[in-house]
Amino acid sequence: MSGCPCFEKGRQLFPSKHAQTGQMDDSQIGTNKAVKGGIIYKEYLQLDKIVTAQVLQSERKGHKIHDEHLFIVTHQAYELWFKQILWELDSVRNIFLKDRVRDERNMLKVVSRMQRITIIFRLLVDQFSVLETMTALDFYDFREYLTPASGFQSLQFRLLENKLGVSDSQRVPYNRRHYGEHFHGQDMEELLRSEQELSLLRLVEKWLERTPGLEKDGFDFWGKLQINVEEGFNHELKKLEQQPGPEKKAEMTEELIKQREVFTSLFDEKDHERLLCVGERRLSYKALQGALMIYYYREEPRFQVPFQVLTSLMDIDALMSKWRYNHVCMAHRMIGSKAGTGGSSGYHYLRSTVSDRYMVFVDFFNLVTFLVPRTWVPKLDPSIHKILFTAECYDSSYCSSEDSD
Amino acid sequence: MIPKSNRNPSGLHSEAERKKNKTGLLLPDSISVIMSGCPYFGGKHISSQKSNLKEEDDESQKGVNKASKGGVVYGDYLQLNKIMSAQILQSELGGNKIHDEHLFIVTHQAYELWFKQILWELDSVRDIFISGHVRDERNMLKVVTRMNRIVMIFRLLVDQFAVLETMTALDFFDFREYLSPASGFQSLQFRLLENKIGVPDSQRVPYNRNHYRDHFRGKESEMLLRSEQEPTLLLLVEKWLERTPGLEDDGFNFWGKLQKNIEEGLRLQQEKIEQKPDSEETKEQMAEHQKQVEIFRALFDQRRHEHLLSKGERRLSYKALQGALMIYFYREEPRFQVPFQLLTYLMDIDTLMTKWRYNHVCTVHRMIGSKAGTGGSSGYHYLRSTISDRYKVFVDLFNLATFLVPREWVPKLNPTVHTFLYTAECCDSSYCSSEDSD
Repeated sequence: MSGCPCFEKGRQLFPSKHAQTGQMDDSQIGTNKAVKGGIIYKEYLQLDKIVTAQVLQSERKGHKIHDEHLFIVTHQAYELWFKQILWELDSVRNIFLKDRVRDERNMLKVVSRMQRITIIFRLLVDQFSVLETMTALDFYDFREYLTPASGFQSLQFRLLENKLGVSDSQRVPYNRRHYGEHFHGQDMEELLRSEQELSLLRLVEKWLERTPGLEKDGFDFWGKLQINVEEGFNHELKKLEQQPGPEKKAEMTEELIKQREVFTSLFDEKDHERLLCVGERRLSYKALQGALMIYYYREEPRFQVPFQVLTSLMDIDALMSKWRYNHVCMAHRMIGSKAGTGGSSGYHYLRSTVSDRYMVFVDFFNLVTFLVPRTWVPKLDPSIHKILFTAECYDSSYCSSEDSD
Repeated sequence: MIPKSNRNPSGLHSEAERKKNKTGLLLPDSISVIMSGCPYFGGKHISSQKSNLKEEDDESQKGVNKASKGGVVYGDYLQLNKIMSAQILQSELGGNKIHDEHLFIVTHQAYELWFKQILWELDSVRDIFISGHVRDERNMLKVVTRMNRIVMIFRLLVDQFAVLETMTALDFFDFREYLSPASGFQSLQFRLLENKIGVPDSQRVPYNRNHYRDHFRGKESEMLLRSEQEPTLLLLVEKWLERTPGLEDDGFNFWGKLQKNIEEGLRLQQEKIEQKPDSEETKEQMAEHQKQVEIFRALFDQRRHEHLLSKGERRLSYKALQGALMIYFYREEPRFQVPFQLLTYLMDIDTLMTKWRYNHVCTVHRMIGSKAGTGGSSGYHYLRSTISDRYKVFVDLFNLATFLVPREWVPKLNPTVHTFLYTAECCDSSYCSSEDSD
């Protein structure tokens, strides 16, 4: 039927693919709903705003540089995803702020949204490889048209840092000195609010302080743990004494004593307050106990999802840090040791922010210093310690499904 | 943050900060820590304080705030006021705000932003070919760099589905009703992308072919039409391949030489097998050999190629196919190294487009099972039907692997005679790559 001279009747090698037969199997049946009116794709997504937001400064100045478009779009994509992260972060903070977190039915929502944040962050870390397809030479061709615009002026990035819990005193000097200077009016109000409202760190801290099992007149986890740890070390030391081989014994004994000292500091509340003072710890003493409790008893039904929350918080810190580092690597590649367009020292400034100072949940990472053998962990008795499998859900006005947020 | 003049000398900046420290102590900043009166400050911690002091003088902390003197700032440069105000939840407008709709919107907007970028790169590459600038081989680096960039963006877009998959079907169900009839089927940029790469109308599956233009009016419809009429990347690459040095009948005559070598090679192969004593093994080897003979007979049958072209099973002209095979066999020759990279990237783009389609199918299946799409298609089943070689533009490059031969069969080169293999054409300097920023 095609008029093609090579067409042989018997040789329909791929009959189903022939456009002319136009078979209408079920997958091809359908209508076009949009002809009847109603919101269509581009209106739903307000694409007229998004797809017209790329104005090349190099072009405006009469010297259009091709790669500037990539530079713009990459940053816009980052800001879009920052908005999404803030949307999720604020909703989680709200659940804590409004005390809805006391209804443990809301925990799934909390942990799902935190995991969503980490997955978005993973994408943002990978996104650098797209911008790295631009060479330093190509960047050099349009960089002059950018000044003084700089990522340092990104409002959403600062909101993100503050709402997670980066503390102002921990910011490196150039950061601390200047980061508020760019924001005025409504932006400045938003920034101030993000510093004043309770950060995720503070909210999680309060939540951890309420961890069931910490009550001194209840399970008294901390008291029990301290006893077990002391007994455990004494036991180990005695075992060592009974062993032959003086030299090795002395070495191992010294090791054990060092380890014991580490735990001695753990149970020293004054030491904790001191470290809080200099910014090396961020959580309260009670919250630290709650976190360690969740670590040790993470397999108990009531602590399973809380444990996932702690893991997600560490993931967020790790990914922020990886984001910063990837950013540093790329900036180094693009501008070597030149100063930043916004006025910072550039690469060197950025490098200084890849530091534990910006790590919000640093205490969770450090908790692994205090892991003990399973046998030292205070034993549980399910018939007595019902708290470990009985959740609190309050009345149905806290119902998770009612409140879509 | 708060201007220096208002700053508390001890370093505390807000009520919240003061409240944070339970012991009532002021959190010190680096300079005042020595004088802070913090009772826990003991001699043994001087080292950490010293490093705080040092860092004030630290080179990395020097700098100014250039933006205070005016000029375009970040938010203006990126027109963030437009972008950040583009998220309107239909569920909220409908009085039933559903949290996850924000993710749905932002994900699609991110896709469209990157589609714009891909089109920017694709059009610039097409321009280099259309304007003839590709004949100056100094432009090849630019071409291949931008194609690689498109590949990198596509990889990101394939990974991006993982973000949307953090939404469950249950959550999607809560706001899906507010979306109708909006549908990705109405994405203009996606259609432009398909057309400009070279997906032909005749190869589109029926529902696609019948409806995809319905939604576009005015300027958009013009854009769509232009993308169908202007030379596609496929067509431009075809013309470029036809010009591959070495194909000339009165020159190196690659095709003629290859045919002779293959015929000779196959003949020798047959003799070897025939000389062996009869056995199961030799019967099998002969059958394999016959298959190979068939394959190569088909390769050199131009009429057969034209027939497959008319059916849409091949997409490149016979001459272009020869050019591609030439580049494959001689890819290590200096002149063909970057062209070989280009062919690889073209296949990468096809592969990633199809992976994108497949990831999309998987996400949709998860979200709506067998329900129809909001735009009116059959949904999952329609999308599945687009995972097909019909949408593979550079399918011929993939199929070339069918025709690989042992190195000894490849026509030999003589560098003193065949200088074209390491001598590039750069034309006159009006084609200079560095002059033309695009």
